[in-house]
Amino acid sequence: MSGTFRHPVLPHGLRKPEGIGTAFRRQMRVVGALTLRELGTRFGRDNLGYLWLFLEPAMLGGAIGLLHHIAQQGLPGGLNPLEFWVIGYIPFYMLRGIINRAPVAIQANQSLLYHRHITLLDILISRSLLEGAAVLGALVVFLALFGLVFGHWPADPFKMLAGMVLMFLFSHGVAVLIAAGAVYTEIFERVVHLVTYLTLPITGAFFMVFWLPYEAQQAALWVPTVHMFELIRDGHFGKAVPTQYDIGYVVGWIAALNLLGMAALRHARRDLVL
Amino acid sequence: MIRLNGIHKSYKTHLGTRAVLRGIDATFQLGEKIGILGRNGAGKTTLLRLIAGVEYPNSGSIERRMTVSWPLGFAGAMHYSISGADNARFIARIYEKPIEETVGFVEDFAELGEYYRLPVRTYSSGMIMRLGFALSLAVDFECYLVDEVIAVGDTRFGERCRKALADRQARSTLLLVSHIPDTVRAFCTSAAVLNDGRLTRYDDLDEAIAVYQAA
Repeated sequence: MSGTFRHPVLPHGLRKPEGIGTAFRRQMRVVGALTLRELGTRFGRDNLGYLWLFLEPAMLGGAIGLLHHIAQQGLPGGLNPLEFWVIGYIPFYMLRGIINRAPVAIQANQSLLYHRHITLLDILISRSLLEGAAVLGALVVFLALFGLVFGHWPADPFKMLAGMVLMFLFSHGVAVLIAAGAVYTEIFERVVHLVTYLTLPITGAFFMVFWLPYEAQQAALWVPTVHMFELIRDGHFGKAVPTQYDIGYVVGWIAALNLLGMAALRHARRDLVL
Repeated sequence: MIRLNGIHKSYKTHLGTRAVLRGIDATFQLGEKIGILGRNGAGKTTLLRLIAGVEYPNSGSIERRMTVSWPLGFAGAMHYSISGADNARFIARIYEKPIEETVGFVEDFAELGEYYRLPVRTYSSGMIMRLGFALSLAVDFECYLVDEVIAVGDTRFGERCRKALADRQARSTLLLVSHIPDTVRAFCTSAAVLNDGRLTRYDDLDEAIAVYQAA
């Protein structure tokens, strides 16, 4: 059999098998420490430092929203173009950010694996959390701006948050699978930017399902991210526009991606050569 | 105690699969100071990595009944884009050590001066080695895995490392891999020879060195 490790996880002083509560708390502590370190390595302590984490998505989202606002394209349903583009772009920024950074995640953090109780999953979770928190921060600021400037506050903030959380879990699941695959081949690193770029039109970031003819709607609803963008828009625009989504379908995707991803990661860890 | 049962490890290369370790069985007890002698390419570093849990064997099992350090060498275990002090903070967090005390201890032991507040990538290899060793002493492991670096580093620091390990005599185990018999003689009380993917223990240091030199 391939290596039974009676104590694969062994922080100082610990020798007995532990309960799931202890294990969970320790994992949270490790993820917390990793997130802090990731902040340090990505943004350093100079200039604006950590602020960039939030400024990057804010600037991109704002610029794209503003361009479309200036172009004054009318949107079906009479939606405010600035709001529509920002609300679409920011979750997409998270999806793309988490996935694009996945192929180098393990390679860039190999030195962490010298500490036996840090797992690949810990590394990926901390990276995703950082990206997710930054994007969520940027979104909150934009929503506050829209509220103050246009007097339009989210119809149901809970739905928006739920949409963002689902988008986060989905992105993380894809990232885990890609990171595991990147242990075996460089292909992911080569194509991931291309694929996230090419799939942009079908993710649902910049169209609404009700704009499409019926057949196209049915096709679009196969794409899991379409449901999440619809949920986020439902949370923001409320009854102003019709939205379609199936949360169960999305949860199914998330569960499958994450479970497969974790299994792949476990396999990859054994084959990883540092 | 650390017990290795039937450890096999091979690597895939462009020339096909290359077996490095071909069935290693060994037990290391608390307090032992063991030198593992092997020629370049014998698999010394690989063995240390497996014991540390950095890499995994293809088959066999490793049982760890004491806390085991990461392999102390020129690389690994620390992050190069953050400072030595930040590395100490990070180590303290993940190993549940008091943060300020750890930062202070590492600063005193590693003797990096102002470099302690600069990114590790600006360090010389000797400084990196000192930082790594200081970090591992701060965690206070029961077993230290050392990849012949102490002997290669400057002698004054080597002497301090040896003293630090000697102070822990009874409660710390040392596994040192080296291709130089004198290094093993300086740090260890018994030895093993790694040759052709297998490990042979000798209770007598001189016997081990004689076998190693004859091979």
